[in-house]
Amino acid sequence: MSMASPLVGPLGWGIFLGFFIVFIFLGFYGARWRRGDLNQLHEWALAGRRLGTFLVWFLVGADLYTAYTFVAVPSGVFASGALYFYAVPYVATVFALAAVTMPALWRWSRLRNYVTAADFVQDRFKSKLLAGFIAATGVVAEFPYIALQIVGMQAVLTIMLLGIVKNVKMVSDIALTISFIILAAFVYTSGLRGATLTAVFKDVLVFLGVIAILVAVPFVIPGGFAAAFKAATLKALPTGVSTLKSPFFITYTTLWMGSSLALYLYPHSVNGALSAESDKKLAMSTALLPIYGIALALLAMYGILVYGSPEAMKILSLFPASARGSLVIPTLAVTALPEWLAALALLGVFVGGLVPAAIMAMAQANLLVRNIIKPLHPRITPPGETRAAKWASVIFKFLALGFVFIVPATYAIWLQLLGGIIITQTLPAVFLGLVTDKLDKYSLMTGWAVGLGLGIYMFITPHKPSAMSPLYPIAGHLVFIAIIALAVNLLIVLIGTGIAMAIRRSA
Amino acid sequence: MSAKVLLKNHYYIVIIMTTETSKNIPTWRKFVAGILFVIPWVLYTLLPIYNTIQPELGGVPFFYWFQTLWLLISAILFVIGVLLLYPGKR
Repeated sequence: MSMASPLVGPLGWGIFLGFFIVFIFLGFYGARWRRGDLNQLHEWALAGRRLGTFLVWFLVGADLYTAYTFVAVPSGVFASGALYFYAVPYVATVFALAAVTMPALWRWSRLRNYVTAADFVQDRFKSKLLAGFIAATGVVAEFPYIALQIVGMQAVLTIMLLGIVKNVKMVSDIALTISFIILAAFVYTSGLRGATLTAVFKDVLVFLGVIAILVAVPFVIPGGFAAAFKAATLKALPTGVSTLKSPFFITYTTLWMGSSLALYLYPHSVNGALSAESDKKLAMSTALLPIYGIALALLAMYGILVYGSPEAMKILSLFPASARGSLVIPTLAVTALPEWLAALALLGVFVGGLVPAAIMAMAQANLLVRNIIKPLHPRITPPGETRAAKWASVIFKFLALGFVFIVPATYAIWLQLLGGIIITQTLPAVFLGLVTDKLDKYSLMTGWAVGLGLGIYMFITPHKPSAMSPLYPIAGHLVFIAIIALAVNLLIVLIGTGIAMAIRRSA
Repeated sequence: MSAKVLLKNHYYIVIIMTTETSKNIPTWRKFVAGILFVIPWVLYTLLPIYNTIQPELGGVPFFYWFQTLWLLISAILFVIGVLLLYPGKR
């Protein structure tokens, strides 16, 4: 490939780096903000449970609207079409579930000083083993999610470095490593406080970028959305452009439902929710989070919009077809916006990956220390517990980074979908546990194990549309595997509990 | 009972008072809030009713803008639901 002319000049780079320094400052400043004893796990990992409605909205928004939103969804719409708009019903419905479950979990956590969902499961079902399983599931499922964030950051660096350096891959890997060292340092010192301040910064940049592109559309894209939808229709995207093709109806519905059920089982979601100051404030900010989803919906539509911009399509054509999707938003930003604004939008996508990665690694660390290490070493002191969590969060970040350097980007996205299938299997213990303590712990373990085994088997076994696809054909319809595995899991839990009750009664 | 235990018990009572909510909420409030939370779940499953191109909005097919509009409506429904579940609480 010959050297293309640079897309981002000195002005853009200056603004990007200048504002990145502001980001770093906010991350470290977090340690001094609303000071608390950062040797206590709940102070470090939950910011002392003191965040109000406004801050929880920004924190959880930044925590949940991730590179999945900025990269994976637009990429999916760009390559496959209407099917990937399932992300919109997903983020419309998930916060109803969260507004009911999370305040309940928050009340338990406040009362008994829980930091993780596995803490709750351990107490509720009197089983350290079950809690250990739930915690391990969370740690594993989170890895590919962090990897996806890094893939998003790579996309930004690829566009920024295009035409500037010869070996884009190598320079972007170095830049990512430096960014992660900085991230690890400020998360170690500031914990969730640092993540909260940087989250507000991220959200502002993201909204600025999304709105700026929307405003620029009529000026830079001839014919606007109408022309873009027409151009995309000519490309005959496999699942439809203006509407969804009928064979994918069940796929669409199971994808949004499965994703909706999964999101608040992820450790980083729980971590964000438990940092709220009160249950009402948590419920209120959760209720308002679908509004953040409007940015997601626009970004998803930009996956179509890009077809209307000959300039953007020309840049994308410089890359292999499989790599184009993740570059859609960065490319649209540099072609549609003035350079200074494009730089801010690119930084939004870049820190849009960094902030969730920080919270994800922190949540993994809490699970490891609280629910795996502590049961094995019960004499660990609270400061010892916190120190272990801080270091674990550093290690987890670099494991995910190493993972991205070794595994190709497309696999990272696939594995993130496998993560969704895996984490959904913790639903009976966590969500049903909030409603009842009558469930039998051995049935919960069996359901979890079978659901996991079945989900992973269906994912990797050769099937239509392809092996390593999160969809599986049932009666001619592609169904999201998470839903199938969860149904089997729930069935086992309910029948097993019924049998256990019958035995106890007759005994 | 030592003073320390008393203090600790008092601390727990304060936490319980601030963390117990759902106990004293009238059933009708829970029922209406439940319906509000469920509406988007039901609506989005009725895919055939919104899987159309017309009416377009600014060149965007109905399928896209209708689902996006419902993000805003969902937020409004959820906020009303939350206000019903937490009357007069801070």
